[in-house]
Amino acid sequence: MTAKSMILLTIISEAMLEAILADEIMQLGAKGYTVTDARGRGTHGVRRGNWTAGGNVRFDVVGDAELCARIVARLKEVYERDYGLLMYTSPVELQN
Amino acid sequence: MAFEPVVLFFLLGAVAGLLRSDLKIPSSIYDALSIFLLLAIGLKGGVKLAEHPIGEMVLPGIAIIIAGALIPLLAFPVLRYFGRMSRPDSASIAAHYGSVSVVTFSVGVTFLGQKMESFEGYMIVFLVFLEMPALIIGALLARYGQGEVRWGKMLHEVFFGKSIFLLAGGLLIGYIAGPEGIKPLDLLFFDLFKGVLALFLLEMGLVAASRMADLRTYGPVLVGFAIVMPLLSAVLGTALGWMLGLSVGGTLLLSTLYASASYIAAPAAMRIAVPEANPALSIGASLGVTFPFNIFIGIPIYYWMATLVSTTGA
Repeated sequence: MTAKSMILLTIISEAMLEAILADEIMQLGAKGYTVTDARGRGTHGVRRGNWTAGGNVRFDVVGDAELCARIVARLKEVYERDYGLLMYTSPVELQN
Repeated sequence: MAFEPVVLFFLLGAVAGLLRSDLKIPSSIYDALSIFLLLAIGLKGGVKLAEHPIGEMVLPGIAIIIAGALIPLLAFPVLRYFGRMSRPDSASIAAHYGSVSVVTFSVGVTFLGQKMESFEGYMIVFLVFLEMPALIIGALLARYGQGEVRWGKMLHEVFFGKSIFLLAGGLLIGYIAGPEGIKPLDLLFFDLFKGVLALFLLEMGLVAASRMADLRTYGPVLVGFAIVMPLLSAVLGTALGWMLGLSVGGTLLLSTLYASASYIAAPAAMRIAVPEANPALSIGASLGVTFPFNIFIGIPIYYWMATLVSTTGA
């Protein structure tokens, strides 16, 4: 079987939004996602991740370009203004 | 030594944070400690509740909840017009101050233990009931008829967020089990309570230190508010405690509840209900200023106020 070209969309946002973003991603048509705890620093200050309300989460979603664009557009529209949000895409080869 | 030694752990954590020590409590341990504290406090309240008829607390309970709802309504105009803060920021901070802090309350309980003062066990129930009205008032104040609140998500966060859920669950289990039934769990939940509280305060110190660094940007108004507001709320609590005929211990705990500001349930609920409010302001004030103020200076002052009214009031 040959590898399939897909897009990996990575979303880093506030831990408090985890359940909300998970719902959004699934409603926009993703088949699934992977969440990991994250910490770091950005325009919303240091997110040390040592305190429930103060950490970040990182979502990884693999899909076609259209799905990723849809998710990016929706999250930009609703969450970008008020929440810490970083999104980037990279091309990946899906192996299975 | 007037200090309850557990608060010194907070100081230790704060010093470690300010000096950039590599001390870090892993978040899974922080989570475990907070689960333990919430359950232990809930169980303690439930057991005490089982010893008293519930009917006894209905009327005082209503008075305590109504008076508690005054706090965010008082804090909001002060911040909005005197502090010249934006509407969402004022509303979110008001909700934090109307809401309560489990750890501040726990320090109050250990303080009373050290003074050998007893208290009305049902005070613990208000840890659950004082949280919700303030958060709902905060969300309403932020909107004032404009825009929509994500009520569903926010109420879910309030009722099923771990703090209310575990406190209420602990209360229920303690109530059902009663003092005899809970005996086998005493060793874990009651005897170890102070030690776990000490570890938790160490972590709180670390987190507070990271918030204190931002304090310079808040301006003196917010810092002043974070000290004066708990004092005013405590006066309200002392007055109400006296009117309801609570014991010195009960009055102190009521003042402590009113004076404390939430930094676990309220930030989560406000982040969802009022996203345009800057969380650094509310968390910085409640955790960076009010929390240390209450555990070091506030609680001894509220104790003094409670003894004063009990001796003059009778």
